[in-house]
Amino acid sequence: MNFLNRAFKNVTRKFSKTILLTLTFFLIGNLVIVGLGISKASENAKVLTRKKMRAVVTYQLDYDEIYEYAMSLTDEDELSQFYENYPRINLSNVAELLNDERVKTANSIYNTLSYGGNIDYVHLGNRAEESSGTGESCMMDENGNEYCETYRSPQFFLKGNMFPSMIEFEDDEYNIVKGRFYTQEEINEGNFVCLVSEALANQNNLSVGDSINLLASDYGTSYLEQIGASEEDYKNDYEIIGIFSHNKPITPDSSNYDWISPYENLDNMILMPSTTIYLSSLTIQQKEFDYYASLEDMHDTGYYSNPENRPSRDNMFKNMYIDNAVLLLSDPLDVDKFVEDYSESLPQFTMLDANNDEFNRLAKPLDTLSMYANFIVRLVVINAIVIITLVTALTLKNREYEIGVLLSVGASKFKIISQFFVELALVAILGFSLAVGSGSLIAKRIGYTVLEYQISESDVQDDGGKYYYGYSIWDEDYTNDLTIDDLISEYEVSVSAAIILEIYILGLGIVFVSVIIPSFMIMRYNPKKILMNQN
Amino acid sequence: MSEILKLENINYSYIDGGYQRVILKDLSYTFEEGKFYTILGPSGSGKTTLLSIIAGLDSANSGNIYFKGESLDKIGLYKYRRNDISIVFQQYNLINYLTAVENVLLAMSETDNELPKDQKAVAYNLLERFGIVKTKADRMINQLSGGEQQRVAIARSLASNVNLIFADEPTGNLDTATEKEIIAIFKELAHEYGKTIIVVTHSDAVSEMSDQRLILKDGALFEDKQ
Repeated sequence: MNFLNRAFKNVTRKFSKTILLTLTFFLIGNLVIVGLGISKASENAKVLTRKKMRAVVTYQLDYDEIYEYAMSLTDEDELSQFYENYPRINLSNVAELLNDERVKTANSIYNTLSYGGNIDYVHLGNRAEESSGTGESCMMDENGNEYCETYRSPQFFLKGNMFPSMIEFEDDEYNIVKGRFYTQEEINEGNFVCLVSEALANQNNLSVGDSINLLASDYGTSYLEQIGASEEDYKNDYEIIGIFSHNKPITPDSSNYDWISPYENLDNMILMPSTTIYLSSLTIQQKEFDYYASLEDMHDTGYYSNPENRPSRDNMFKNMYIDNAVLLLSDPLDVDKFVEDYSESLPQFTMLDANNDEFNRLAKPLDTLSMYANFIVRLVVINAIVIITLVTALTLKNREYEIGVLLSVGASKFKIISQFFVELALVAILGFSLAVGSGSLIAKRIGYTVLEYQISESDVQDDGGKYYYGYSIWDEDYTNDLTIDDLISEYEVSVSAAIILEIYILGLGIVFVSVIIPSFMIMRYNPKKILMNQN
Repeated sequence: MSEILKLENINYSYIDGGYQRVILKDLSYTFEEGKFYTILGPSGSGKTTLLSIIAGLDSANSGNIYFKGESLDKIGLYKYRRNDISIVFQQYNLINYLTAVENVLLAMSETDNELPKDQKAVAYNLLERFGIVKTKADRMINQLSGGEQQRVAIARSLASNVNLIFADEPTGNLDTATEKEIIAIFKELAHEYGKTIIVVTHSDAVSEMSDQRLILKDGALFEDKQ
């Protein structure tokens, strides 16, 4: 008849007490399950939605910090010096972040338009195409003479990255069909290599190893004449090292189809290193500099009188900086931790942005729900501890006699306390087990009702996340479109095995804490006083 | 006969209404194995206090108690109560949510003494020896009469295989016939099984049947020569 056996007998034979305590634990269990169920559903919905989002972190300048610092400078010279040495994101900072095993790849994109060459672009045959092509625009100069410039519409979109992979390839938006992507060495050297779309390659019968010729910019004929340059100064050959496909085809059903320009069609996008794009217009930039350097009135600025400012390959690589780098992480759930890990060690005036604003705004009703649910759980647990402690303490008074008997036969106080703990634990397990079924139903009912109310009370239903006017090729926002429906679709109140386990652990925790105070009472009991008083 | 319990200069007093009330004063006595003792004395003389001290339910202010030559301080009160003694009370002190046999098993589960393997069978046998047949042994305590409950209490006191049994007014709630039966059991335990029985009582019937009557007077124990 050890203490476990005694506890079991007490629970099974003191029936009315057991029923009352079971009912108490049943009610507590229901409230805890409702709270935990709703809280977990909210957390799960956030996690699942987060997983659906791109795991991107943007490394960029902290413009707020720059502004605040500039405002704090009262000395004019200091301020102008600060602007002369304006903070930059340099590639070595990004390289450090790229070394983190959580990072898959990064985009630091430099885009420009190309104005034709020796290949034909992929045609859509829409209205925008009809109005594109070459033309002439005429203006009057200061002497009242008319002068005209020819212009041409851009046909190709040159997209350059500073890193030897792209988020779009990691996300399977683009895929290499033939050949390869450019290497870090080719980026560092500014090699004239490129990747063309499958459609463009098919249209022009291009293969890996072929070369294409493109105009890296568009200058008017009179301007070229003025600076002593020609079209040849920005016309370059690029070797095709890869052919890629993409998953954003444009069809007549596409939004704003009629006004999509040829260069906005991803079929007409050409990928190459950012450095190559910079170097593509180096010759024309040098000629421009030489021209302005030859004009004496331009010397007042000091810029054109300094030969060191002349664009050159060395200057370009030496002064290279990027506006930002978008890092793609392997796991969306690592995003916040990644930002937290590096935030302290980043160079001044730079920051990591987890692009969380939209997500946080939409998740607000769930956060509120989760907060209330957790509050209920805490309140219930505290109340449960108080109630069970009082019940146990009051019961103890009635069981003094039994304690005295047990002490008189040599049972230790520890065993007596253990018996009371086991008795309560058995009842708690019984009560919570009964509550699992009913609590699950109540949690579902309440969970959805309260969430609907929360959403109707918040402002998230007015705006379904970001809206785009069709697809924009200039759009470099790598965060996903997100609506409140995305979150709600992941919100499912259910009582999982983990919650059940948590409830039992919580229940045993309540019992354990509830037994502490009565235990002190037992420790103070004197068997002589109890038994002699009884007798 | 060899000594089982030796009391040496036991003192016990407490403060009552600002005055020190002396209950036991330099009390010394040696109890022997296999004898049936009764302790008598007027109400308030300290009989119950003495019993609680020698039964390890309370501690004296000063003095030493030796069980088989070993000090209780050294043995420890819990261990002493668990392995060396058992107590029978006037109110029987049985646990009401257990059956009679379970109450007997309770003492067996707590002791460190060597016991037969089939404890349940031993418990039934013990109860049967004191007139509690199996059908009654399986009943809850409150379904038994006072006399039966006291028999269960006595069976429990023997269950842990101890040599020293204390009883505080064990027949106080029983009728004369049952009282006689209980006294007979005590005598049998002492003389047939070599147990030492120390009973605190007001009852002349009980004390007359004992081997040694002791009078507690002025805080000390005196042997009654009659």
